[in-house]
Amino acid sequence: MPRFDYVRAGSVAEALRLLAEPGLTSRPLAGGTDVLVYIRHERAPFDRLVDISRVPELKIIERRGNEVVVGGAVTYTEAAESPLLRQVAACLVEACLTVGGPAIRNMGTLGGNVVNAAACADSLPPLTCLDTMVHLRSLAGERTMALSEFIMGPNRTAIRAGELLTHFSFPVPPDGARQVFIKLGRRNAQAISRLSIAAIGRLDGQGRADYVRLSPGAAMPTPRRLTEVEAMLLGQVPTDELLIAAGVRSAEVMIAVTGRRWSTEYKEVAIQALAERVLRRVLVL
Amino acid sequence: MLIEFTLNRKRVAVEAPPDITLLTLLRDYFNLTGTKEGCSVGECGACAVIMDGRLVNSCLVLAPQAAGSEVITIEGIRGPDGGPNDMQENFITYGAVQCGICIPGMIMAGEALLMHNPNPTRAEIRTALAGNLCRCTGYQQIVDAIEATARSREGNR
Repeated sequence: MPRFDYVRAGSVAEALRLLAEPGLTSRPLAGGTDVLVYIRHERAPFDRLVDISRVPELKIIERRGNEVVVGGAVTYTEAAESPLLRQVAACLVEACLTVGGPAIRNMGTLGGNVVNAAACADSLPPLTCLDTMVHLRSLAGERTMALSEFIMGPNRTAIRAGELLTHFSFPVPPDGARQVFIKLGRRNAQAISRLSIAAIGRLDGQGRADYVRLSPGAAMPTPRRLTEVEAMLLGQVPTDELLIAAGVRSAEVMIAVTGRRWSTEYKEVAIQALAERVLRRVLVL
Repeated sequence: MLIEFTLNRKRVAVEAPPDITLLTLLRDYFNLTGTKEGCSVGECGACAVIMDGRLVNSCLVLAPQAAGSEVITIEGIRGPDGGPNDMQENFITYGAVQCGICIPGMIMAGEALLMHNPNPTRAEIRTALAGNLCRCTGYQQIVDAIEATARSREGNR
């Protein structure tokens, strides 16, 4: 007797109908790289998987006016190979290229990464930096919310039963803004992030920062921008002194959120150095 | 459920439960035991196969996910005479095989790389192998063998 059934959806409408079918618990299956690991040791918390990985509407990557739209079933490889994302979302592309190895990146999806909502998920810092909105659909209608509100804690999101994350959207960052993502893992590939960080920044004609976005990963229970640090830099010339202070402030903000945990001894110095390093890369020519 | 797909360039149909992995389907339903089970959680790459032109870990693919796809396993990699192909010959020549359990996955990763990038740098070869663990060789000989294959295929183009 199989532990669960499988069905493939051809469209979002069909997926939503299948997910809402009464009498059994259905869950979406995108790349499967989290689901298949989970059900090796845990009882499957569903009766049926609805495969959404080939739904064309969930595979889009396109620019709509000043917005970029990325489908939930876009794989890390597809994101990293997208000319549009390479141009406007370099920190997201960098993050995608640090996930697992090629075989994981060929299956795993951005939607899956976000809905699984591991605190260490590599897509979260860049998506947060980009001010990403999450678009959800169910038979009851559509909902849109900020990524930082969608993720409620480690492995906890605002998604409801029968709801599908259809796509993400974010505004195109200003012209000339530079983007960086750095990840610390135990090795360079196939590693879970111990700490990661994404930054976007730009200088005006006078050499002062006129656009700054900074968001760490695996640092806090929910993703958020370090607006306290961004505010220190906006309108300022990024001197060594200021960048060092920005690193120190990043660590302070993290500790204010998490308190001193078992890993803080390491993360305090690591986030300080990483924040300073990414800000230097995006703001110092 | 009935799972129909293309396996090593042949159309196949098999009755199998929906909750098994592609790895189990290949090994236990098709007796294609060249694909190895290592970690079963996507860490080691021993189970790597090519699905629709992309390297995947067959331990992390649900068997019915392969329906309608084109799957190539190590059994589908061979020379025109049915013996080893040029990459497999180079693995032998360059001493890239010791215990051998990682090799089917290594060959699949090498072939998947050359499908997309026929002229890779050594750094690109290493990146392509990042998800395949080998505890014997230290990887150098494997990189050498794939590099030599790319060079000779480029030369023959």
